[in-house]
This record gives sequence, C-alpha cells and structure tokens, in this order.
Amino acid sequence: MSAAPEVIAAAPRAGGCALQRGVLGIVLFVLAWEGIARGFHLPSYTLPAVSDILASIYAKRSILFTAAGFTLTEAVVGYVIGALIGVTLAVVITLVPPTRAVLLPAATAINSVPVVAYSPLILLWFGIGMPSKFVMVALAVSFTVFLSTLAGFDRVDRRSVDLLRSFGAGRLAILWRLRLPTALPLMAAGLRVSTVRAIIVAIVTEMLGAYGGLGWVIYQAVLQIDFVQVWGAIFVASAASLAFFGLVGFAERRIIFWK
Amino acid sequence: MSASPLTHPAVTPGGSAALRLLGPLGRLARGLAILLAVFAAWEALVVLFGIRPYYLPRPTVILAALVQTPAPYIQGFLRTLSETLIGFASGALFGIGMGLLFFRARALRELVFPLFIVSQTIPVIAFGALVVLWFGNTLFAKAAIAFYLTFFPVTVNTLLGLESVDPRQEALLRSFGASPLQLMTRLQFPTALPQIFVALRLASSLALVGAIVGEWFGDTVGLGVLLLQGMYTENVVSIWATLLVSALLGTGFYAAVAGAERVLVFWGAEQ
Repeated sequence: MSAAPEVIAAAPRAGGCALQRGVLGIVLFVLAWEGIARGFHLPSYTLPAVSDILASIYAKRSILFTAAGFTLTEAVVGYVIGALIGVTLAVVITLVPPTRAVLLPAATAINSVPVVAYSPLILLWFGIGMPSKFVMVALAVSFTVFLSTLAGFDRVDRRSVDLLRSFGAGRLAILWRLRLPTALPLMAAGLRVSTVRAIIVAIVTEMLGAYGGLGWVIYQAVLQIDFVQVWGAIFVASAASLAFFGLVGFAERRIIFWK
Repeated sequence: MSASPLTHPAVTPGGSAALRLLGPLGRLARGLAILLAVFAAWEALVVLFGIRPYYLPRPTVILAALVQTPAPYIQGFLRTLSETLIGFASGALFGIGMGLLFFRARALRELVFPLFIVSQTIPVIAFGALVVLWFGNTLFAKAAIAFYLTFFPVTVNTLLGLESVDPRQEALLRSFGASPLQLMTRLQFPTALPQIFVALRLASSLALVGAIVGEWFGDTVGLGVLLLQGMYTENVVSIWATLLVSALLGTGFYAAVAGAERVLVFWGAEQ
C-alpha cells in the first residue's frame, strides 16, 4: 500500500512541470529544426528554416488568412451538420429501438470505406464548390459522433432506467433526464476528436478540386514547387485545428462541469 | 427494451453474450446476411426510384464491372494492402515502443508528447506531398504516410494502459522480488494489452486512409489511383467498384486485428 501516497504526491508536481516541459520541448524542437536547416544549408524543398517559413507567412498573410477562413467555414458548417445528424440518429435509435437493426448496419457499411475515399465521388456529385466539402466533413463527423453518442446512451445503468420507469417516466423523459447527462462525456469526446478530422477532411477534399482554401493553396504551391509556401499553409492549418480543438474543449469543460 | 446491446459485430467485436455464443461462423453468416440485405435494398431503391447510374449505379452493374476487368482492382488491392501493412506494422511497433519509453521516462514524455499532439494536426495530404518529395514515389513513401497516421493513437493507448495498472498489484509483485522486466512482462504489459488493441483497431482503418491518400501523388498502381482515374474520367461505376474493394480491404484488415485481439487478450477485457 506504500505506492498510493507516492502517486498522489507525484500528481500535482507533474501537473506544474508538464506545461513548462511541453513548451520547452516545442522550443527545443524549433531551435533544432532552425539549426539543422541553417547549419547544413538544406535546400527549401528538403527542409526550409522555421524563420523563413514564418517570414513567408507574414509576407503572404492576406492569401493565407483568406484561405484559412474559407477552410474554417467549410469545416465548421460541415461539423455542425455532421454533429446534428450523428446525435439525431442516436436519439432515433434510442427512442425507436427497432430502427437499430437497420440504421446501425447501414452506417457501419457506409463507414467501412475510409471517408477520404469518398471524395472523388462527392466532388462529381456536388461540384468543386463549398457544398462538396460540407458533405465530406459532415460524413466524417457524423459517424464518430453517432457511435460515441450511442455508446453513451447505452452505458446507462439498467436499474436507473427501471427506477425512473417505475415512477412513470416515458422514453423521452428517460432520454432527457438520465441518458443525455450520462452520455455527455462520451459525446463530448467524440465531438472533440471530430474537430481536427473536420479540418483535415476539408483540406483533403480541397486538394482534389476547389476554388479556394488551404488545401487549394497547398496544391498550387506544390505545382509551383514553392515549398516554403506549402510549409506556411501547413503551419496555418495546424494553428486553425488547434484553435478549433481548444474552443470545443473549452465549451466541453463549461457544459460538463461535473466531470 | 431501449437498452438492448449493439448488434453489429464490427461495432462491438465479440461484444454481447449472445453473439459470443454464436461463435465466429455464426458472426460471419450474420455479417454476410446483413451485407446481402444492404445490397438487395440498394438494388431495389435504384430500380424503384429510377436513380440515374451517374449518381448511384446498381450493385449488380458494379459487380459486373469488377468481374469483367478484375486485373487493375486485384493489383490495386495488393499494392494498397502492402503499403497499409508496412505502415501499420511500423507504426504499431513505434507506438508501443514510445508508449513504453514515455511510461519509464516522465521528463522525456513531457518534452516530446506535445510535439506528437501538434504533429497530428498537420493535414495528412500536405504531409503526403512532402513525404513523396523526400522518399520519391515509392511504396515506402506511402507506408510512411500510413505510419504517420498510425503511431499516435497506439502511443497514447499504450501509455494509458500501462498507467492503469493497480499500484497494489505492483507492490505485491515487487514484495515477492520481481525485477522491473518481470513486472513489465507479467503485469504491466498484459494489463495494457486491451487498451493497446483498442488503438490498433482504430489504427487499422487509419493506415488504409494513409495509403490511399498517399497514392494521390502521381502513382500508377493502387486503389487511390483507381479512385482518381474514376473521378477524372467521370466513371462512377469504376469509383464504386474501387470503393467496394476498399471496403473489403478495410473490413478484412479490421477483422484480422480484432481476431488477433480475441486470441491474445483471451481473458476478454474489452472495455
């Protein structure tokens, strides 16, 4: 039993240090990158220096920020549509149990193909404007949210359901008062994971055909062999993903205060 | 009974007690029956509503296309399969190794782990452009992309699994004089194994995504190439045929990983 107090004592210490070490790790990594790229005079198609990439981002900020806005719009709209579809499907299955036998295999069959493989088909169907990106992002997000929400609804203790039912609660009341609060942590985890996926799927689809966006910028830069620009777009895309992820994570901590 | 268990094997592999009683043959038959039902419903829908083949061809037309010219699909299947397998295997080994390392060296974990997280926000296709540039248009460039998508979830779950070991069990083993190596092989690693397999199942689909996306940079063989060719020639039947082959590859690979899980984690700790 001697290990238990050690674990408790170690936890807060690690928490205080973790952030500093994390920042230190990233700083060291950037310095090593800069040093290697400058020290070995690496050509920009192998590895451009971080300072060059940042300078290029600043120089082309209007192009990159317009593109990031384009991509974020696609990702957020698709994300909202996908999340709504996912939650709705899970609610339908929970309220009308017979639909489970149809909806679950159908969803699993659609998802047995990797989502990005659908993009050529979706581009043919919906054109290369924004709608095809909404569809792709919604497709990617809805399945993750659907499965995590359903797993959350199913996790409820059956005795609690029986107790509520014995007091005369209907299916809707059980869903609202018991299943939804129980499912929220799992649902939120699905929603959080989906943020990064949403942006990545939007960018992947843009590269196959689009009028604008980060994926389009990356594709053009690859064609023009401008690899500093490719890295610049990658940096901006990473920052956008982290911001979206952070925002949803923040909302999660506010809404699920009991966790 | 609104709380009935999930019924599809792909969602809870070996999940409910009823499915376990059915055995692997029963599960297979069930899966095939569901597949046939989906195909029949699809065929009926297309015929009933008169959907144009440009939007949704009938499954029989797609299967006929597969049977008439099987060569490119078989070649593509094998090529994409080898890329997926190499990327998955290297990613899984690297991920488990990093998980063990991070578990041992806390300072190293706190230094490197944030970098791992940031690396996962890089859009895979942009990374793909760079990888193909670095390694040339080879099989290994594609496997490298599959590797990049695979290692992160495996690292995270290995670490989580190792940290979920009950300290009292650890203290007990240590009191009997177990060495750190024995502690790892007898207690810590077996405890982490179910968590690791959760990540491996997820990684099996991610590795396939990496391989397909990697082929979009001017390769000549592979399922990703067939998809792009189908898009440029607006050959919807060929796109659907490739999607079916991808589904076969993805489901087969997933089932293989889940099967390995049932054999290795025979005590059946799923959650």
